[in-house]
Amino acid sequence: MKKYFIHIVCMLIFIHADISAQTPLLNSYSPASATVYLVFDGAEVDGTIWNEQGKIVAAPSGLSPASVTWIHKMISDHFKLFNLNITTDPAVYERAPVHQRTRVIFTANGNWYGPATGVSAIGSFVWGDDTPAWVFMDPLSNNPSYIAAAATHQIGHTLGLQHQSVYDSYGSMITELSGGETNIFSNQAPLMGIPFYKQADWKNGHPSTGAQNVQSDTASIAGAPNYIGYRKNSEDAVSADNTVKIERQDPNYLSLISSGDYSFRLFDISGRLLTQGMLKPGFNEIRASTASTGVYVLQWSGGFGSASQKIIH
Amino acid sequence: MNTLKTILTSLGLLLCLILSAQKNDTPTDLPYSNKIEVNSQALESLFLASDIISLDLSPGFRLEGKIKNKSEHGGSVTSLLIKVESRPGGMLSISRYTDPKGNIYYAGHLLKLHDQEGLMLVEKDQHYYFIETQQRFLVAE
Repeated sequence: MKKYFIHIVCMLIFIHADISAQTPLLNSYSPASATVYLVFDGAEVDGTIWNEQGKIVAAPSGLSPASVTWIHKMISDHFKLFNLNITTDPAVYERAPVHQRTRVIFTANGNWYGPATGVSAIGSFVWGDDTPAWVFMDPLSNNPSYIAAAATHQIGHTLGLQHQSVYDSYGSMITELSGGETNIFSNQAPLMGIPFYKQADWKNGHPSTGAQNVQSDTASIAGAPNYIGYRKNSEDAVSADNTVKIERQDPNYLSLISSGDYSFRLFDISGRLLTQGMLKPGFNEIRASTASTGVYVLQWSGGFGSASQKIIH
Repeated sequence: MNTLKTILTSLGLLLCLILSAQKNDTPTDLPYSNKIEVNSQALESLFLASDIISLDLSPGFRLEGKIKNKSEHGGSVTSLLIKVESRPGGMLSISRYTDPKGNIYYAGHLLKLHDQEGLMLVEKDQHYYFIETQQRFLVAE
């Protein structure tokens, strides 16, 4: 009897440990079919560009459910402008369209790759072949804030984003990864630069492909070839500082007052670019022939980087 | 005078045509050093091969290799991973996507991790090209 009792106690302890170690099943925005799956329980990867040396067996992250929940929330906050679900549920990933999904594997190290905090294939969100992105936690000191920032950065790559870089006035690259404003009063950094030590967000800036190019992180994520779009329910979404949702009441034009000279782009809710141009200080009318009344997204920038002033509708 | 006008107009038109052709010929926004056009039949034949690959993707671009993995994703995507012997250490990852209307598209990369350069397969106006570009534009940390 005593023997059976010990067995039962051992089994209960084992079951309890198993339950407490389970990754919580979380979804940031269930209505969206486009999906990013955060993999905390380990994975076997084969048949991808990462498999030069054969199959990769990634160990489970070992993160506690509380840390997983917190990391999921941090990442979800960065994507709450978009019609995109951040999930920890493998079944949700399996149901997602193959050309609108990616997975991020959180594991201790990337010995198969080399020293890095993570790696991903740019644009792999639409490849359809389940190529994962990676976050290597040991070089991030297993710090949940750093892990969440690194994961957001890698997801940005899978969605087609290049690094936000810094160039001199001649167009020569100073640094590939922008650390943010050099102004000591600023605490902002681009998520696609070095996102660890400052308040990081999506930016308009010059990517690593050249000073002549401009990369709007949010427009790139929402638009082609991802076709994610923005969330329709504006109460759920917090806009980036240079992006606003607007309700267009008049089918012919959109009127707004700008506080300065800005270049602008107008998107429909699916992320399709409708028109672009320049805003002048004061009253402006934007005409987009294909647009009717409804919810649109206006994005603007002035000179280098993003504008800090708001446009008043 | 009229002859001079005609010559200048013709030269102008020629210049416009050349510039326009160059613009249409650009298969990607990424900066690239070289591009190789490949035909879709050659790409399709990769998916019909069983194990060993030995074929010309285009004149001057011969692919020798071995299929390491073949996988299906969601019923519409077939992916191949090919160890490329004609480019030591390189792996060609290529996918074939069939859309709901039955149209077939290809996408892929030929990379060796940590190399400076890599090749990306892109489609432009129903033509396929391998473009050679810096690998940091294809794989990033």
